[in-house]
Amino acid sequence: MALSLPNDPGWRLPHWPGWSRLPREGRDTLFLLGVIAWTVLPHLSHLPAWCIALTTVVLAWRAALAVGNGALPSRWLLVVVLAVAAGLTYWSFRTLLGKEPGVTMAVVLMALKTLELRARRDAFVVFFLGFFLVLTHFLYSQSLLVAAAMLVSVWGLLTALVLSHMPVGQPSLKQAARLAGRTALLGAPIMLLLFLLFPRIGPLWGVPQDGLSSTGLSDRMRMGTVAEIALDDRIALRIRFSGQSPPPEALYFRGPVLSRFDGTEWRTLIPSFPPRLQPQAELRVTGVPLSYEMTLEPLRLPALPLLEASPGTPQIEGLRVRGTADLQWLIDRPVLERLRFRAEAHLRFQHGPLQTVLGLQDYVDLPPGFNPRTLAWAAELRRDPALARAGARELAQHLMKHIREGGFSYTLAPGEYGRNAVDEFWFDRKEGFCEHFAAAFVVLMRALDVPARVVTGYQGADLLPVDGFYIVRQSAAHAWAEYWQAGVGWVRADPTAAVAPDRISRSLRLLPAPGLVAGALDAMSPALLQQWRDAWEGINNRWNQWVLNYSRGQQFDVLKELGFESPNWQDLAKLLVISLSTLALAGAAWAWWDRHRVDPWMRQREALLRTLRRLGVPAAAQDAPGTLARRVRERHGAAGEALAALLDTLQAQRYGRQARRHPDTALTRSFAAAARGLSPAPDR
Amino acid sequence: MTAATAAPPRRRAWPGVAQLVRERFRRWWQGRLPRSDTVLLTQRNVYILPTPAGLMFAATLMVLLLASINYQLNLGYLLTFLLAGSGLVSMHVTHNTLRALTLRLRAPAPVFAGEPALLEAVLTSPGTARYGIGIKLVDADTSTLTWIDVPAQGQASAHVGFVPAQRGLHELPTLSIETRFPLGLFRAWAIWRPGSQLLVYPAPEQPAAPLPTARALPGGALRGRATDGGEVEGVRAYRRGDPLKLVYWKKAAKSLASGGELVSRDTASAVQQQLWLDWQACATLAPEERLSRLAAWVVAAERAGAAYGLALPGQSIAPGEGESHRRECLEALALWH
Repeated sequence: MALSLPNDPGWRLPHWPGWSRLPREGRDTLFLLGVIAWTVLPHLSHLPAWCIALTTVVLAWRAALAVGNGALPSRWLLVVVLAVAAGLTYWSFRTLLGKEPGVTMAVVLMALKTLELRARRDAFVVFFLGFFLVLTHFLYSQSLLVAAAMLVSVWGLLTALVLSHMPVGQPSLKQAARLAGRTALLGAPIMLLLFLLFPRIGPLWGVPQDGLSSTGLSDRMRMGTVAEIALDDRIALRIRFSGQSPPPEALYFRGPVLSRFDGTEWRTLIPSFPPRLQPQAELRVTGVPLSYEMTLEPLRLPALPLLEASPGTPQIEGLRVRGTADLQWLIDRPVLERLRFRAEAHLRFQHGPLQTVLGLQDYVDLPPGFNPRTLAWAAELRRDPALARAGARELAQHLMKHIREGGFSYTLAPGEYGRNAVDEFWFDRKEGFCEHFAAAFVVLMRALDVPARVVTGYQGADLLPVDGFYIVRQSAAHAWAEYWQAGVGWVRADPTAAVAPDRISRSLRLLPAPGLVAGALDAMSPALLQQWRDAWEGINNRWNQWVLNYSRGQQFDVLKELGFESPNWQDLAKLLVISLSTLALAGAAWAWWDRHRVDPWMRQREALLRTLRRLGVPAAAQDAPGTLARRVRERHGAAGEALAALLDTLQAQRYGRQARRHPDTALTRSFAAAARGLSPAPDR
Repeated sequence: MTAATAAPPRRRAWPGVAQLVRERFRRWWQGRLPRSDTVLLTQRNVYILPTPAGLMFAATLMVLLLASINYQLNLGYLLTFLLAGSGLVSMHVTHNTLRALTLRLRAPAPVFAGEPALLEAVLTSPGTARYGIGIKLVDADTSTLTWIDVPAQGQASAHVGFVPAQRGLHELPTLSIETRFPLGLFRAWAIWRPGSQLLVYPAPEQPAAPLPTARALPGGALRGRATDGGEVEGVRAYRRGDPLKLVYWKKAAKSLASGGELVSRDTASAVQQQLWLDWQACATLAPEERLSRLAAWVVAAERAGAAYGLALPGQSIAPGEGESHRRECLEALALWH
């Protein structure tokens, strides 16, 4: 089979006639190709290189054909290319199912389909594939920017659709865009209604989740990992308090508690005692709880970093939340969507067993053969007569004092640590960030035979709230320690506060070097940059609150505000059906009313003609106001001058250089007034 | 290498029955519509249904909705509902495009059978501009649509051609007016049965038989020219003052093309003779063929500028000439029975 290739000897680049001189068909095709390219563009980072190359070549080729009015390739060529593309997709992903291969194939199909656009009316497949491609972007990101870009895409696709249904002449793109925009704008109330009331249901069937890799808190800690997220300025969560906001230094968001240390890595505990012997949560709170609303970004973590300490389990639609003995809030699956919920916290609290339980032994466990100098230093400390009978509290204070006065410094770039990391940190280098301090503190406490553990989470928030929401960034990730004291329970100890109190009290974060643009802006006006950033985050926050987090809970809130006592999804469906029927009836009623609508110019004209006929002036429907003015002058002379002048004005209003859009009702009134002074039978 | 572009026609189980029922229904439906030359399109006579593309759009929306539900994409919901809202609005826009339009038919000029007749429909919009309106005969297929836009508070006219097969006074064929603007998801249409009638002359015989010979008038001097029948008498160079009607345009065009001058018919030889186009003169033919021949003669005689009379059984038109005479003769031929 011989294929006609695009680059046979007779083929060369077509001559570009200029945008305005392009034939209609070519212009419409180029516009559609532009819209398609814009729609595919944000996918570039997810597509394999061959797909990008193929799409570019196909779109460029189609554009050249549109400009040169060339013949489209045969269907066989397309089938062959499609088969090759499917093969390449399989080669790239080892499967044809799933998100990435699906998006790749959709892009290829879209590009190839443009080569099949034989008639304007054949374009429907392209349009519908286009809408589908728009949706695929939301699988990757639902940010405001993506939404704006895709709004442009949808508008473009609708414009192309409108254009293909205006077969007469050469309608301008602007006109088609205006018509498409009007259609979409008129459809917006329906969209809003459906969005608010369409019952939200869970996934209908399981979808394969792709490999998740995102920085943030994790369920394990190794010296150095927190340094990576300390550089990450993205938002982790937003929090808004119902009453008085507590100071940022009081905000500890409790994430994974890491109690198992194997010498290099900290992990969650696997208890070696039966549950009955393990220490229980035993939360003891005082005072009034602090009520707050939290929006949590997808942390991809099977835990909720709630504000310490939460007395009750927060109710979150679609999630089973379970509290643990070490005050973690675990969920049954990693959260991949933004969560919005209300919860309560007591900032003043105690927890843990008051008396020794056997299970506490897990918290003094240290792996043998690691950090020998630290262990020796602890044994030395134990022999110190001043501390011989000291309790956990005195020992912790002693360690804190040592950290404060021992020449330790807080840095984000402490460098790499070797096998005996704690030894190296405690005696040699004495610099690190929160996790170094927390880990060393816990190891030392354990070496002193005091139960202790590492708690990770977020600490602090941006100083100024945006829209009442305090923003907690990934860079606020923190690690602190807890030790157990008889008669008190678990006590929080934040050794980082001892060396860098600013890090805690003012939520000062060490900022990485800013990017070029941000740096220049920052140099010119740091306040401006901060202002912009705050404004942007405010908008983004509202977007998250009202669009992305809108789920069943918010739906029911809306229903409650509408007066439903205890809304369920049947109410939702009922309300939706009623609203849509009302809307449809309103549309029909408007159409019925519209039937009786008369063009205002016609109405004015009818009124004037009636008056003139009453005055004996021959007036036919087709007479221009100027002609009528002449007749009025002929018949009524000077007495009719006022009327004639008004008719002349009307002539100018209707047909003059500055013609009005709508008739002048004042003119109609003064015309009637002037006519009253005239009698039908003039004296001649 | 050629690509097959046309799909083979689909076979139906009982093509005859379904078609018959549909045809009967349509005829019954159209028969109910009043005939009128002016029609105001209202909700009562504008119909609307989704197109195949509209159904495809609905299917796309379902896919988008399923994807949004399954991946819990709130933006996906927004997209789906935006498109659904736009689709719904487009339904109203499609209906609005036809509604309140006034259709008026310009009375069509008589034509010969077998020649295309042009119907001119004038569409008037009382309000906004209307785009993408197509007009066709009800029985014709979609590819013959004549597309027009109607400006705001203005008029536009569309021409629809059809070829009447038989002579006589015919009712005009039923027209359909449709639009898919703006998104093509819905098709709104109206059926219009114009009230005017179209006079169709018999198809002139091809090739035309020679005109019968004119008879010299017995004695009496009769005003008016006559020809000696047969082919056009003869030609001569154009002289100043020759009536335009005498210019023999066919020859003149050729002559002018070859650098000559205008050519006139030579009527100098005209004698007082009378040309009768007589039904009896073509006795060998069937009635319709006779009418065709007479029509051809009328045309030829008029073109030749001769005075002629028409004699039909039970009806005769005195010799004369000119447009109204021609029309009178042809009308008699069209309506004779």
